[in-house]
Amino acid sequence: MPQKFEVMVGNKAVAHVVRLARVKFISAFPITPQTTIVQYIADMVADGEIDAEYVNTEGELTAQASAFTAGAAGVRAFTATAGPGLLYMHHPMLATRNNRVPLVMALMHRGIKGMDPDQTDMMAQRETGWMMMECESGQEILDTGLMAYKVAEDERVRLPIIFAGDGYILSYTDEPIDIPDEAKVDAFLPPYKTTIPLLPDQGAESKAYQMRQWSVGRDPQTSFAEDQQAMENAKKVIKEVNAEFKKMFGRGYGNGLVEEYKTKDVDAVIVAAGTIASTARVAIDRLQAEGKNVGLVRLKTFKPFPAEEFQRIGPKVKAMGIIDRNISIGSGGWTYGEIRNAMYEVEERPKTLQFHAGLNGKEVRVQDLIKIGEKTLKAANGSKVSPPVEWV
Amino acid sequence: MEIRFHGRGGQGAVTGVRLLSTALYYEGKFTMGIPMYGTERRGAPVQSFLRVSDGRIYERDLVHEPDMVVVLDPLLAKTVPVTQGLKKGGLVLVNHPHGGLETGIGGPFKVATVDATKVAMETIGRPITNTAILGAFAKVTGMVKLSSLEEAAHHQWSGRIGEMNIKAMQKAYEAATPAVDVSKVKMEEVKLEGRARKAGERDVSSWRLYRPVFNDAKCVGCRRCFILCPEVAIGMTNNKAVVNYKHCKGCGICYEECPTKAIDWVQETI
Repeated sequence: MPQKFEVMVGNKAVAHVVRLARVKFISAFPITPQTTIVQYIADMVADGEIDAEYVNTEGELTAQASAFTAGAAGVRAFTATAGPGLLYMHHPMLATRNNRVPLVMALMHRGIKGMDPDQTDMMAQRETGWMMMECESGQEILDTGLMAYKVAEDERVRLPIIFAGDGYILSYTDEPIDIPDEAKVDAFLPPYKTTIPLLPDQGAESKAYQMRQWSVGRDPQTSFAEDQQAMENAKKVIKEVNAEFKKMFGRGYGNGLVEEYKTKDVDAVIVAAGTIASTARVAIDRLQAEGKNVGLVRLKTFKPFPAEEFQRIGPKVKAMGIIDRNISIGSGGWTYGEIRNAMYEVEERPKTLQFHAGLNGKEVRVQDLIKIGEKTLKAANGSKVSPPVEWV
Repeated sequence: MEIRFHGRGGQGAVTGVRLLSTALYYEGKFTMGIPMYGTERRGAPVQSFLRVSDGRIYERDLVHEPDMVVVLDPLLAKTVPVTQGLKKGGLVLVNHPHGGLETGIGGPFKVATVDATKVAMETIGRPITNTAILGAFAKVTGMVKLSSLEEAAHHQWSGRIGEMNIKAMQKAYEAATPAVDVSKVKMEEVKLEGRARKAGERDVSSWRLYRPVFNDAKCVGCRRCFILCPEVAIGMTNNKAVVNYKHCKGCGICYEECPTKAIDWVQETI
């Protein structure tokens, strides 16, 4: 093994992100299944492995607000949470984006109903204007965390970002994880520099910061248009950063937005994200071994939603089985809605099937995903399938 | 290869899986150790799983049809269906003081044993059986070298604790009994420990390793144990303490606190 590896849990991989990215300010509040992230980071700070200010707050609202202000003041900051903690962060999350602070947050999915993982927590923060990336393994958590800093701090983007993994399934699962070399990470991720001076010693005589805050002397809508543009720019930047990461560390995740798995000449694809996508690879292998022509499109980036990628993939297949580990009650799944939206621009649209799986931590097994693949293939072959929305 | 571990909270089923997966990774295997988390506490039956493969592992559901089952507690097989889903011809490794035919586990399987509790008490001084059972695992399965396990233990714990655990592995490696066919043994049907409808209805007698035995002659009726028992398992009859063994988890608080030493601390036997 050329690199340093260790068998560790996903939560420890997050702590290594904080160490390798040379984060200077950490504030977090422990909540299951994120708790051990806070513990591992506290250990590393105490052992001198991380040279950072570590603040224990009395709740997530303050954790988010203090990480945001530290980022605004000009240091690389970090916070982490799960489920209800994320909901409690809502207001300062909007402020973080509004002030274009490139804060990075680790999220271990925890449902809103119980303790078990689903993406309803992240979905509740869909409109905060944070970028959101989803991981499917412990290794990917480490890699995505490092990429997240680079994407967020890019001059063209300057938006906060969440990198997420399914709680329990990733947070507590032991896997062998390669820990990249510190010098290499330093070369990949240069030191953080704030572009909006806030303190006098950063040259804050200009009222740029305050003007942006209060939109003094310009169209009140301007900042929203700018943020939207930054989100559009992020699609390109994510692709670039993913390619650069792949070149330096030998690991990449599709093109950073989506990853296609065995989609060459297939009739149908299933669309999945997170750990469901990982298990889906096994299902696709088994389906294709039986000559069933189904592939997998793995959604890596939820925000900005890679509509163009689906507009590219859409015309190539006859049906898409879209799996959502989330639901907006009254509207349906997140990815289902977004993909249907994107398909409006496409002349030859595939059929789209909606599946809800893994909500409230329900286990998604290989055979469940094989059934989803078979049903999608049936729709691709022109048969009528029912029900249109299925709870797996 | 998929392995399921049955243990009790506090026996180290999760750490055991991490050690084994680290050791296997040293030998060039890819591993995935999956703990089952809930509102577990010391003594409650818990599970964890391990997948081992030559390539990267993508399957992220739980293990439902294991090739092997490892049981960290001798009494667990009476309350948890440990052989559920186990493949035909699969191996069960049990912490048990007697041979494979006397564990009460039967069916189309093979059973190997090691008295891991005894080994752990001798080496670590506490009934934490995970490292001892791993030593036996190395001997019985041949899947992993004892030296790799020792290296993994060094990585997990530095100093004295690492040394004690390594000693437990080595001792259990020698003490393990070979796997025997148990297809002729008839196994009693195990009902899952259901959720009790009312607090105090649940039978937790299998959770304890030691039981308090009250000596009425020495009991002065001070009620100290009656007040301090966290499980409300001790009552007072004719001003003498009486224990309800169905509710006693064997925490030992009464034994520690009794001012007249009227309580003996007796190891449970199988």
